[in-house]
Amino acid sequence: MIEPVALKDFFITFFSSALIILAGAAYALLFAWSKINSHTGIKIGALAAYAVLVASVLELTRAAQFQGYWLIISVAMVIGYFFAPIGIWHLCVKTHGHPDDTSIKTKIQEDEQ
Amino acid sequence: MNETPLWASESFWKKTAIWVTAGSFVILIVLTMDSLSQTTAGGKRVPPYSVINKKIDYRFNKELNKSVPVIGGDEFLFGKQLSEQEAEQLVDLGKKTAQSRNCMNCHTILGNGAYYAPDLTKAWLDQGWLSKELREDLMVKFLMNPESNARTFGSNRKMPNLGITEQEAEGLVAFLKWMSSIDTNGFPYNFKTIEAEE
Amino acid sequence: MNTPQLDNVIPKPASVLDKARIYRDKFKAWVNLDSSNLTAGQQLAVKYFTVAVILFVAQILFGLLSALQFIYPGFLYGILDFNVNRMVHINAMIVWMLYGFIGSIYWLIEDESGTEIVGLKWANIAFWVLTGAVTLVVLVYLFVQVGPGKDSSLWFINEGREYIEAPRWADLGITAVMLVFFYNVVATFSKGNWSGIAGVLVLDLIALVGLYLAGMFYMTNITHDQYWWWWVIHLWVEATWEVLVGVIMAWSLMKLLGVRRKIVQTWLYIEVALMFGSGILGLGHHYFWIGMPEYWLSVGGFFSALEPIPLVAMVVHAIYDSGVHAFKTVNHPALAWVIAHAFGNFFGAGVWGFMHTLPQINLYTHGTQWSASHGHLSFFGAYATINIAFFYLAIQQWRGNVWMAAGTRHAWRWKWALGLLNAGVVGMTVALLIAGYEQSFIERAVEGSTWAGYFAAQNQPSFQHAMNWRMFFGLVTAAGLGLLVWDLLTIGKYEERKAEKVVEKVIVH
Repeated sequence: MIEPVALKDFFITFFSSALIILAGAAYALLFAWSKINSHTGIKIGALAAYAVLVASVLELTRAAQFQGYWLIISVAMVIGYFFAPIGIWHLCVKTHGHPDDTSIKTKIQEDEQ
Repeated sequence: MNETPLWASESFWKKTAIWVTAGSFVILIVLTMDSLSQTTAGGKRVPPYSVINKKIDYRFNKELNKSVPVIGGDEFLFGKQLSEQEAEQLVDLGKKTAQSRNCMNCHTILGNGAYYAPDLTKAWLDQGWLSKELREDLMVKFLMNPESNARTFGSNRKMPNLGITEQEAEGLVAFLKWMSSIDTNGFPYNFKTIEAEE
Repeated sequence: MNTPQLDNVIPKPASVLDKARIYRDKFKAWVNLDSSNLTAGQQLAVKYFTVAVILFVAQILFGLLSALQFIYPGFLYGILDFNVNRMVHINAMIVWMLYGFIGSIYWLIEDESGTEIVGLKWANIAFWVLTGAVTLVVLVYLFVQVGPGKDSSLWFINEGREYIEAPRWADLGITAVMLVFFYNVVATFSKGNWSGIAGVLVLDLIALVGLYLAGMFYMTNITHDQYWWWWVIHLWVEATWEVLVGVIMAWSLMKLLGVRRKIVQTWLYIEVALMFGSGILGLGHHYFWIGMPEYWLSVGGFFSALEPIPLVAMVVHAIYDSGVHAFKTVNHPALAWVIAHAFGNFFGAGVWGFMHTLPQINLYTHGTQWSASHGHLSFFGAYATINIAFFYLAIQQWRGNVWMAAGTRHAWRWKWALGLLNAGVVGMTVALLIAGYEQSFIERAVEGSTWAGYFAAQNQPSFQHAMNWRMFFGLVTAAGLGLLVWDLLTIGKYEERKAEKVVEKVIVH
């Protein structure tokens, strides 16, 4: 059973849904960047993006009137979007073979002739 | 540190891809079989074609928290009671007419299609037909000659003349009436029907 | 029956043909492409690309006509009505993208399998059969338009089901051609070498053809009709097409950036797992309101929330790569379009998709301009961009693998084409978003979804302004497309520098 969004919450529903995806991507981007650049500002940025994500999920949960098992979606988003970039980063590192890959110039270009 | 752990290996992900795909597909097949059996014409969600012999309404149900179709007493279409088979034939003609006239590339049907003209899901119940007494006649006339019976609601958008015959128009009306009895989980929302009391 | 006056007015067929031949030869001389730069498979591929571009132009042309009818409903009324224009608009899109994909596969298959295409003759015949069929279908759409409410109309004129309107005879023809294509792919890999990419490709093609069959049956029951109809539409564009793009990208990454096969294939499998894992059951978000049981609300809602995960994976991976590799590209336009693909896919499918997909809000947005907004950005972002990128790769090779990186002549053309096309589509998307917001608010929420409510929303000044802006940005898109076609025909024409060759990456310890 669903409780349709109330008229007054129309805009905030669209806005918070969009923000979830944008903040999720921003967090993923900054998290990955913080791995190749140890600047603390980037880490803080990643956490800030994640905070925006959590706030957006909470707002969407309220606006879309999630109740009962619908809350699973909210929980899944809060947890999933936090760990997905971490897991995918590890996958990147491991699938590319060598953990110290970063320091290596991996590509050479040659002239055809 | 040169070893790739199992969870990052090519073969692991190959198997995972296969299992995830196969698993999702199996779930989809199971749900498909269940969904199709629940929505066969004649069931609870999709009434039999002979429902066009009945009065149909669409009302908000507080308990279910959504609008649901309400099937009432006899209300024959074009003054004739049809057998299940005759009703199916008429609805079938309407459905084929709707497809061959490409209705869906202006209108939406169950909300799917194009957005140049209004949704047809509950067209049978729309207040635009003024009164229940005039409805059938107005619909047939409109379908057969939409240009001179244009109902543009001030938009200047007119339905073109698609050469719909009287028989086809009656089929379309039957199709629309039958479709309005389908339980669409509350879509469209907050719809006030021609039956609604002001 | 000798009418000398008429002879002067009506040109003789022979002279018309001669003129056409002269124009064609002049055009060929101007374009000055040398097909000996291409392998047999690539020569076939560029045929597909050529038709794809022509259909792309048709798509935009008929889109403009439809957009104009929103502003001037009397325009072409009774001659080319909205439903005809809109049908050609969306069909041309589906078909040109398919042409692009088939072409791309033929382009890469010889290289990937290490052998020549088996049954090249059949593949060429299939190309002409398919192109002839598409032409005939479009002519019937335009000049016959509608038929009586009988099976014969569904067989020979129009099936009247959005996106898969092609009449039944054409369905059978398309399936036959796809089977020839499928045979070619399987036989070529069997003769040469199989690979992980080849395996994913073949399985994906089986799904692609199999799903098309699900859309070929007539059903009186509209709920069942739309159930199967979404199998084709959704599972094509949100599952099998995505994987097809994954295959094309995987091969391109190896060839263009020299990424190792093992890595590429592992990630292709990861992508398949994520795409199919979220996309197959994501189908549920189309089953909310068509009469299907209520559990689809939960299934569709949940898997739609997962659908952005593959996009997040791409973001992380892109950053990882940027830190690990010092990529040099030899084809700037192609790279730029791949970047446009990444952004377009993310915003179109991810952000725009999720914004209105949960049933709590979709109840209001379903069947409004919201869908049009989402559709414009996601089809363009996910598929048009990647096809265009591949066109640039093809033209580079066709010119003899010339330099297309920094310092290309007339680089403004591809840059402006890129800018105008993207600005045009984004502009249309935003205009339609405003229209959709207004429509879902006024028509659905306030007025209660009646016909009067529908028109009340359509007559609102904000809706009409949005339609004007959509028209304007449609013209911007068209200008970008014109420039793109011009650029594709001319880029690298006088270029004499060769592109540098990319070799497999070597790890130095």
